[in-house]
Amino acid sequence: MGVMPRTVAKLLFLPTLVAAVAILVKGYAQTGDGFSAGVVASLGMVLQYLAFGRREAEKLPLVGFAGRGAFVGLLIGLLVAAVPVALGDPVFNHYPGPGAHVVYLGTLELITPVLFDVGVFLLVFGFAVGSVRAIANTITREEEYRGPDADDLGVEDLAKGERR
Amino acid sequence: MTGSTLLVLPVGLPWALAVALALLNGRRPWVGWLAVAGLGASLVSVVMLTFRVLREGPVETVTGGWPAGVGIVLRADVLGATFAAVSVGVILVSLVYEVFVGVRSRTFPALVLFLAAGLSGLFLTGDVFNFYVFFEVSMTAAYILTGYREQDYQVRGAFIFAVVNLLGSVIFLIAIAALYHVTGTLEMATVAERVREVNPNSLITIATAIFVAFSLKLGLFPFHFWLPVVYVGSHAPVAAILSGALANIGNYGLLRFGGDILSEELALGATAVLVLGSASIIYGALQAISRREPSEVLAYSTIGQVGYVLVALGIGGTVGFSAALIYAVVNSLNKALLFLVAGLRGPFVAAAFAVGAFSLMGVPPAVGFIGKIAVFKAGLAAGGVIQATLLVALIFLGSALSFVYALQIYQRAFLAKEPQGGLWDKTSPWTARALVVALAALVLAMGLWPEPLLVLGEEAATNLIESGGSP
Repeated sequence: MGVMPRTVAKLLFLPTLVAAVAILVKGYAQTGDGFSAGVVASLGMVLQYLAFGRREAEKLPLVGFAGRGAFVGLLIGLLVAAVPVALGDPVFNHYPGPGAHVVYLGTLELITPVLFDVGVFLLVFGFAVGSVRAIANTITREEEYRGPDADDLGVEDLAKGERR
Repeated sequence: MTGSTLLVLPVGLPWALAVALALLNGRRPWVGWLAVAGLGASLVSVVMLTFRVLREGPVETVTGGWPAGVGIVLRADVLGATFAAVSVGVILVSLVYEVFVGVRSRTFPALVLFLAAGLSGLFLTGDVFNFYVFFEVSMTAAYILTGYREQDYQVRGAFIFAVVNLLGSVIFLIAIAALYHVTGTLEMATVAERVREVNPNSLITIATAIFVAFSLKLGLFPFHFWLPVVYVGSHAPVAAILSGALANIGNYGLLRFGGDILSEELALGATAVLVLGSASIIYGALQAISRREPSEVLAYSTIGQVGYVLVALGIGGTVGFSAALIYAVVNSLNKALLFLVAGLRGPFVAAAFAVGAFSLMGVPPAVGFIGKIAVFKAGLAAGGVIQATLLVALIFLGSALSFVYALQIYQRAFLAKEPQGGLWDKTSPWTARALVVALAALVLAMGLWPEPLLVLGEEAATNLIESGGSP
């Protein structure tokens, strides 16, 4: 890919992640939640894959953690659902309960639904980035298998761009 | 243990364990046994739940302690709990079988647990959309499981399975959206109340879409085209899970949506349901007779067997619904036993197969007899004399045909001289054989002591009719 897309992708990377976190924490009172935050963050990551190719993108932080992150996220979500049952409350009961004192961190309320949304975020982000990674790995492996003369065999432009 | 804990446990336990096991290597025996232990605990809780529901009526809990309509409702009645118990039981047996034979993929135990969690979730929910979500959880696990062992034909089968069933899921999702549009709620009980005031024209369309979606899952006659390819390719325990547990989604869905939520639409379309059911019985049986491979015969026989459930559903009323439930349960057990046995060789395997085959035909000591009798009774209760005679004749014909194909498989698989040096020369592990013999013993025991099954059928049908209204 050319210089322009690479520059734009590089510039956009951090703002995307910040926007994702903002969406994550401003839910509850306004629109936003873990799911859309996860989608935004993984779009930022997919952009890096498109612009720089697999090898460069792998070097970014968080990428190696993505696959496992999905499972950790799902476990967090399930725990938020299950712990109240163990305490004798209904499933997904949230703490502190209605009317109780809530600790604020800036505008963020520290309540268990936030933890649930963090779980959802990790699940969505981990799944999206993990699958992009798996697909990218497969493409690269196929290319390496084909060898340097792949162009003569009619490999698409996409593969060419990546090798360069 | 409180009712709400019992309601959450069968879903939450396998789910959490599945996530944990997905990070471990499932080929290690201890991981497999951990999965078995978790699923066993889930089965125990589901059985306890079934007893509770039978004694004290439906158990209900709302997430977060919100009022119903705001929070999502989890609800267990006799119908759901029975299907959950049978499905989790079949999955447990199949998982134990595979652990005995040797798991070959690191994700197998985790996927089986995901499937079990999704299934118990959808049987124990009182919310239409939640039903869809759990349904997708179990279907997604099933798509991957179908490709287990990763032979070319298995991956091909998995692809067909995924494409056709995603189509079914989309149709179902559209139907749910439409149902929400006309009733303004997703909670099953409220939907069932409000549909009575809805314009029947739009309801018929919705009911048809739901019927088509579940028929696709079940592999009913005009929607069966995907089923043989998938079942024939699948590894034995996967085929047992698909036809003994996953197909219950269709059975349960037809009973829940047809008998409970859209009961008037079911009564309206009863003739179509009866005709399709009859066509399925005849078509499945004739195709099964013309095939040679045991797994292929069983696949076509599955198409025929769901026809009985549909016929019972079409007849309706307490007799019809209880017959549909009993037949679905019996069929699950039969198919699990037969598919598992079809993958084994060695002493006692033929005996276990014979029990399964007799149960499939409906010969007395086996539980299949109870199912056939229930459908027979339903047939006699149907409408006028001509209709009853036709239905009874059809059930009789279907059973006679199943005699032919079941004995044909037995003859080809166990009596004919096998080619030397073939795949079948190896004797399977005795543990796996003991397992299928135990399952065969269960099939016999339930046939000899059918009261629990009959009580479950009766209670479930009464519940359905009370909440659904029209007979």
